[in-house]
Amino acid sequence: MKAVIIIVALPALFLPLGCLLYIFMQGWSALSWDLLWHGSGSGVGMAMQAIWPQILGSLLMMLLACMMAAPIALALALFSALWASGKQKYGLMVFLQTLQGIPPIVYGLCGLVVMVHLLHWGISLMAGGVILAVVILPLLSSNMIHALERIPAEQSESAQALGLRVEGLVWRVWMPQAWKGMLTGLLLGMARSLSETAPILFTATVFSGVMWPDSIFSPVTSLQTHIFYLAQEGSNAYAIDVAWASAVVLLGLILLFSLTANWLRRIEVKA
Amino acid sequence: MKILQQEQMREATDDVIQSVELSVQGLSLGLSGKPILKAISCQLFHTGITSLIGPSGAGKSSLLRCLNMLYDDWQGEIAIEGKSIRAWQGGVDALRQHVGLIAQKPAVFPVSIYENVIFGMPKKARKQNQDAWVEQCLKQAALWDEVKARLHEPASALSIGQQQRLCLARALALKPKILLLDEPTASLDPRSKQLIEASLHQLSASITVLCVTHDLEQAQRLQGQVIFMCDGKVIESGDADAFFQHPERMETREFLRWSVCDCD
Repeated sequence: MKAVIIIVALPALFLPLGCLLYIFMQGWSALSWDLLWHGSGSGVGMAMQAIWPQILGSLLMMLLACMMAAPIALALALFSALWASGKQKYGLMVFLQTLQGIPPIVYGLCGLVVMVHLLHWGISLMAGGVILAVVILPLLSSNMIHALERIPAEQSESAQALGLRVEGLVWRVWMPQAWKGMLTGLLLGMARSLSETAPILFTATVFSGVMWPDSIFSPVTSLQTHIFYLAQEGSNAYAIDVAWASAVVLLGLILLFSLTANWLRRIEVKA
Repeated sequence: MKILQQEQMREATDDVIQSVELSVQGLSLGLSGKPILKAISCQLFHTGITSLIGPSGAGKSSLLRCLNMLYDDWQGEIAIEGKSIRAWQGGVDALRQHVGLIAQKPAVFPVSIYENVIFGMPKKARKQNQDAWVEQCLKQAALWDEVKARLHEPASALSIGQQQRLCLARALALKPKILLLDEPTASLDPRSKQLIEASLHQLSASITVLCVTHDLEQAQRLQGQVIFMCDGKVIESGDADAFFQHPERMETREFLRWSVCDCD
């Protein structure tokens, strides 16, 4: 019985691992210092360009999204811990879980209609940042809520019984214990925002003509959409190579944030 | 002669009024639509120990939380030295420093033993050297000898019994006039139980102690006053010796004999 279960379960491990290995094998050979910083003369169109603007564009949108989503998620978590009733907490968690299930392309469409057209922001870093913030907000919020829930209720009651005000309770009792869990959530949110393509496809990125956004309301390029564009150039072998290399860089960034988040979680559990 | 007698009577009455530290009048509390406390009235006298006994669900812990304003959605009147706690000078935070509460399960903060003792003190006081005060509080809580060599080690490394005494020291550091304890020895070993009881006896000489306990023998050992609660009501109260030897109410006698109470 044990053997059967293991055999059935093995694909869960090997299929993603196989994909990752294949991407690294394909992309590693195409990845070079020149590709990152100078570009190459051997390709055509986008494939000729260096990918640093795309890396920076992705990181910029990620940072903007996290800067917008993190304070909102923290406020939501604090409201839930301080004042929400049991029913409100339950309703909030159901709402956040439902939001996490919404397809990102729907957010992208919403961003296109509301931010790009109605608010006249145009295709811009701002629109991309806001829509990514909306995408990662449920993940960030639920992580922060869980981080606060892990603090024993007795500690909160004891702190209040000592006469600590809400600020004292939050900064002296909750934050010193919850920050690792919150940071873990933030890092996972960063990884999630780097892995999203659909929401920024309509709202923030262009395929060419942009190296660096002039302002927050300028379009930007990103690794995710760069890979999407290059993959469509099926006849151009060099473009496909650059797409693999870009995928390796993107995966590297996502793994960096995810593994750091897991490391922090391990420290938190040990503490 | 008559005027002198009246004067003496008035002085005696004043003494009784002055000696009442805390009075509860018609206190009612409901949680999630369920009545927990039903028009309770009782008094705690200045200094001394009062044991609050009764079966589970009688409302003992809820009463403590009302006295400390951790529950604030109650009706009735709670006054300390004649002043309503709802209109306490300095607000709820100041009241909670005046009325310390120690929970059944010790909850130390993830900082050092020393920092735990001064945790509730104002920021300015925490920045000053509090070595002597920390030592005094830990001595009052019968913990000093066990921790004096490791004051700056994490409090979480202490045993449960030591953690409970640390919570006592932490509450004492705020110089409370009233100390509320919610089954402070429920999960402790006999040695820790004995140490806490001894501390409470010493403390009761200078502050008013209200201790919830399920342990009737402990209530007898603590002496002082006893309040017996059942189903959100105060059934009987009085001096511990008289209460245990000659209980007046049938419900009390049943509870003392069988540890059950049918107050409906």
